[in-house]
Amino acid sequence: MSNSEGEKPRQRDRDRPFVFLEFCKGCGRCIDSCAKHCIHEGHAIHSATGLVPVEMDLAGCNECGLCFSACPEPWGMVAEGTDSPLAEPAHEFTPQVQERPIPERIPDERLPLADARPLVTKGAYAAAIGALLAGCRHFFGYPITPSTEGAELMAKLLPRVDGHFLQAVSEVATVNMMYGCGGAGLRSMTFTSSPGFSLMLDGISYMIGSEVPGVFIDVMRGGPGLGNIGPEQGDIKLACRGLGHGNTHAIVLAPSTPQEMLDFTMDAFELSFHYRNPVIVLADGYLGQMTGRVTLPKTMVKPGLPPWAVNGRASHRGNLINSIILDEKDLEAHNQYLDQKYLAMQKEQRADLYRCDDADVLILACNTPARMAKGAVGELRQQGISAGLFRPQTLWPFPIEALQPLLPKIDRIVVVEASSGQLEDEMRLALSHAGVMAPRIDHVRHAGGVLPSQAEVVARVAGARKSISGTAQQVIS
Amino acid sequence: MSIFYEKFERHDHGRGLKGHSTHYCPGCGHGLAHKYVSDAVEQLGIQDRTVLVSPVGCSVFMFYYMDVGNTQAAHGRAPAVAIGHKLANPDSIVLSYQGDGDLASIGLAEIVSTAQLGIPLSVIFINNAIYGMTGGQLAPTTLMGQWSSTSPSGRDRLAGTPMRMAELIAQLDGPVYVERVALYDNKQRVKAQKAIKRAIQNQVEHKGFSFVEVLAECPTHLHKTPQETEKWVKEEMTKIFPLGVKKDVAAEPWPTIPVPTFDPGRLYQVVGGVAEAPARHCQGFPAIGFSDDIGLKLAGSGGDGAQTAALLIARAAINEGFDATHIPSYGPESRGGTSYADVRIAEKEVLSPAAPSPHILVAFNAPSLARFGPQVVPGGVVVYDSSTVAEAPALDPRVRVYGVPFTKIAQDLGKLVVKNIIALGALQAATGLFPKETFLGAIRQVLKEKASLIPLNETAFSRGVEAVAAKRS
Repeated sequence: MSNSEGEKPRQRDRDRPFVFLEFCKGCGRCIDSCAKHCIHEGHAIHSATGLVPVEMDLAGCNECGLCFSACPEPWGMVAEGTDSPLAEPAHEFTPQVQERPIPERIPDERLPLADARPLVTKGAYAAAIGALLAGCRHFFGYPITPSTEGAELMAKLLPRVDGHFLQAVSEVATVNMMYGCGGAGLRSMTFTSSPGFSLMLDGISYMIGSEVPGVFIDVMRGGPGLGNIGPEQGDIKLACRGLGHGNTHAIVLAPSTPQEMLDFTMDAFELSFHYRNPVIVLADGYLGQMTGRVTLPKTMVKPGLPPWAVNGRASHRGNLINSIILDEKDLEAHNQYLDQKYLAMQKEQRADLYRCDDADVLILACNTPARMAKGAVGELRQQGISAGLFRPQTLWPFPIEALQPLLPKIDRIVVVEASSGQLEDEMRLALSHAGVMAPRIDHVRHAGGVLPSQAEVVARVAGARKSISGTAQQVIS
Repeated sequence: MSIFYEKFERHDHGRGLKGHSTHYCPGCGHGLAHKYVSDAVEQLGIQDRTVLVSPVGCSVFMFYYMDVGNTQAAHGRAPAVAIGHKLANPDSIVLSYQGDGDLASIGLAEIVSTAQLGIPLSVIFINNAIYGMTGGQLAPTTLMGQWSSTSPSGRDRLAGTPMRMAELIAQLDGPVYVERVALYDNKQRVKAQKAIKRAIQNQVEHKGFSFVEVLAECPTHLHKTPQETEKWVKEEMTKIFPLGVKKDVAAEPWPTIPVPTFDPGRLYQVVGGVAEAPARHCQGFPAIGFSDDIGLKLAGSGGDGAQTAALLIARAAINEGFDATHIPSYGPESRGGTSYADVRIAEKEVLSPAAPSPHILVAFNAPSLARFGPQVVPGGVVVYDSSTVAEAPALDPRVRVYGVPFTKIAQDLGKLVVKNIIALGALQAATGLFPKETFLGAIRQVLKEKASLIPLNETAFSRGVEAVAAKRS
């Protein structure tokens, strides 16, 4: 039973009612509740509300208290003699500061991890291990090829660190579990693949609007629709431009090796909590399956608790995780605040430059196609062609600051991707926003699970280079 | 007093009447349900650890009023959000408050799966037989013949029949307590108060999932006075939605939700950290006539063990301090389909992980040999299973070809599954890629947990080596 009764000497159900007329909507639900017929339908229109409050004659009141339970308004009917601040009319029109506890902030800790020899593991596993090292102990997900191995490893390992793995009823439920867990201030994640990622976008919009962190690892597969389970990069537009409805953006990391699957997943949690925003790790089907050398970091994270969390603690009681803001001006202000945040995220631009310093041709690629492109750079250099690889590690924000200084020195950019131009579109948009003259842009594209091959990239760069020799070095794209 | 805010600062910044008045229409049942939630939270002394999940619907703004931790959920997803909160802090008391459109229409998957999970949560379900917030459209709980703006001639069979959620939830295994209550008179209100308190108390006691359906009044969209609406709920709704306890079982308490550990020692072990560096047997990067970036392809059918052998090669290379990658490629079937593996080994860094023109091919069957044999670079090596390939195709004369009866040797050893290890031995002998000990070290590493299999695999490896040596002599 109640454990607070002792602290509450005054029992409401032994009180006589008092109606604040301005907060009575005149619904009359209290009228029938009174066996003594003390409450009657009103007749006078209240000047402040335009409603007709009930009228009371408490001569027969036996303090049964049933009218309190019949009044739907929190402040419509109160106990007579309550020293409510409402009893003081001036109170209502003066600014008030409600007492709120100061939310506690428990800082993250970095704990040293013993030296270990490199692991030999696949990309999806490396990402799962990265999440554990980043302090993630909550996994929500729905199985989908080719991302499932990551989830399976989490299911196996999380119980051993007293974490929680929950297979949700759908991707839609998954993202909302992450919304709850992230809203409680904890690090949660999911592995998914393209069709599943589509289903999560609605929830990601809510997370961004409500400023809830969480890490999404999308192991992209062939599309559209059910497509196939081969590697593709067809979700770049979703991750960079289409995170659900409204004004949304999130940092999009694009790993290219199993090592980066681990490193970027760890980084993703840091970024996600730093900005209070989801972070997307875009991988592809090959990368998830690719086994390689993975070096463990020197430290692991013991996460704290941010002060904004709704964690079910006394000091967090005043917090709110929410994205509905009715007032247009308020919602515009919230969007402007988000815009500032997106602007701040620009400094997270990352790119890996391989032999770009003296390059005439830049090959621009990310994820697994960047590996083929890197092989092509080696081969082209052997043929005497000065090619370099520009590999965006963040797709949003696009690493334009690293690309721009290279532009005056190059003839051409060849975009290599496993999609029909989604990476190229990001690059073109970034160039356009930067207001720079773009060099000629060529591409090697595949889709549907086919990856660009090293030989194709070499042929495109070496072959087309000859055909454009002597032409203008820069064209406006 | 109560756990309502003294002033509703989130309601239009608490300006004017909105500072103390709800946004609900006169006579709406939500206000009563809010009050009973408030009373229960207060009486149970759990205000500080309560997390309230507001839905989409008229009660979307519940966080305006209740002085607890507040989260607002997407339409229908409140139970999923509630799970996230509960698992994040099992000591928190998480309330999911939902309307009939939210819970019984768009959120059916979430409520049913959450109820079946049975996790300690308290769900308050407001059924007023109509969509309130969007303006009086058909709800899954709308009665037959009832007018709504999207059933203007009254609900007929083409619009389905009313969904009885309490009964549906009660027949699941997960919930411990399900009751349907109403608000239309004193007696029902007392029952509703008790039921809501009970549902929350069950969670305080970590008993399990509790569900209270509240038949509530929406005078505005029923186009009736509050009193007429109470009467309608009493006389019409309760015929379709009978009141009462639908389920009340003395279940075992739900399992304790563990508290995560962040012990570096434990995590190190869990992620497979090993301090000891593997023994190295190579004198520098293998100088076997290939470049500093060696490509291998292993090809066969699912079950041949091509992927495992490929992983062992990659592991062996990494143990020697080189870089290596492995990528698999499968046919659609998990067994019996094609199974190809590409391995790349580089002294410093593998650039492209694909091996379209391999230096070394291991073929487990004739189609694999026919398909990939011609791709092997001049000077490369092919090792194939001569038990399954009757006649090897003619390949570039500069390619060295070794037929080794992997399957037959494996049969002799009594374990067909070791044919990939025999192939690995043959590969070692044919190419000298790494010393034998490097491969054996990798095999022992992988079989650490199944040590009894190590001798057999060592024998298989040796038999592969010997088979190639015999061909050479």
